[in-house]
Amino acid sequence: MNILEELKKILTELLDLDNGDITPETYLIQELGAESIDLLELAVAINSCFKIKVKDEEIFLTRFRLHLTEAEQRKEDAVPYVATKYPFLTAQRVEEIIKNIGKGPQLKVKDVMGYIAFHSKEA
Amino acid sequence: MNLTFSGKRALIIGGTCELALTLAQHMIASALFPILTHRSEAGLKAIHRELLPFTGKYETAYLEFGTRESLQTLFPRIGEDLDYLVDFAQGNYENLIASADEETLYRYFTENVSFRAELLKTAARVMLKKRRGRLVFISSAAAESPNPGQGFYAASKLASEALYRSMGLELGGRGITTVILRPGYVTAGRGKAFLNARGEDILEKIPVKRAITGEEIAETVLFLLADSASAINATVITMDGGLTSRK
Repeated sequence: MNILEELKKILTELLDLDNGDITPETYLIQELGAESIDLLELAVAINSCFKIKVKDEEIFLTRFRLHLTEAEQRKEDAVPYVATKYPFLTAQRVEEIIKNIGKGPQLKVKDVMGYIAFHSKEA
Repeated sequence: MNLTFSGKRALIIGGTCELALTLAQHMIASALFPILTHRSEAGLKAIHRELLPFTGKYETAYLEFGTRESLQTLFPRIGEDLDYLVDFAQGNYENLIASADEETLYRYFTENVSFRAELLKTAARVMLKKRRGRLVFISSAAAESPNPGQGFYAASKLASEALYRSMGLELGGRGITTVILRPGYVTAGRGKAFLNARGEDILEKIPVKRAITGEEIAETVLFLLADSASAINATVITMDGGLTSRK
């Protein structure tokens, strides 16, 4: 199953979009305008389509900032600490998100793809 | 009035209580398909005994309220297909707050509030796939006006009401709505024993001078599930003969 193609199908239907709008680099919230209720429906659709258990707060990086604060409080390096919370993200991607975190919600289609791939392998 | 229902499959949580069994018969008469939960073999037998004439028109499912493992297997077992949920489940713990057992009170809220929140989450995610669902929580007039000793019961009912109300707010736009029914003194289940012991005094306090019957509750719940009631969302309806409105 092609994860990107399936995700595109789900997102275009949920958010009423043109298929061509979506690439792995697309921001879900900043560009596609996904709201919390849309993300909830996305999680349900991913669970249904890919047959994996979805933890909404993990797949959508909901507590990313909180984990950054935890790293600071524990006096640990932010990148490796946060990466342990999101094993489906590369260290490079975690670094990129931290760098841009002041510019709005950083969740991209490729992050969701990473979660699906990681948990499909587990299953 | 003819009630119409756009859904069919109705999960009744706490399916072995007298009210649930009465409701199930009304549902079957309205061509709905009730799925009643039970927590023991004795409960399962009670369902089959009561619904004997309706074999094939209902299902049963094991759910130990408060036990997360039983929740994880509930929805896969009933086919991830659900239009309605009616929630009668409620543990009973009557005690003065200042004399409560600590272990029991922690367990009581875990079972009756936290577990219910997980149940609601799971049911809503099943219903979201069809973008349709109706949930009715059977609360109690004691949520509004508890007697001494009903503090934990009232607190857990109010907390559960808040969960249902919020779900109706959050998911109403996706076709999933909720309503809470607060019956007063009922001539069924736990209420029956209470009324038998203290009936005359209690009835005197109720403006209509009588208790509510199980049939009345079942018919009201059925109406609340019907298509014409779906605008009654994220709110509470009290059905107590006027008891909690009086001074």
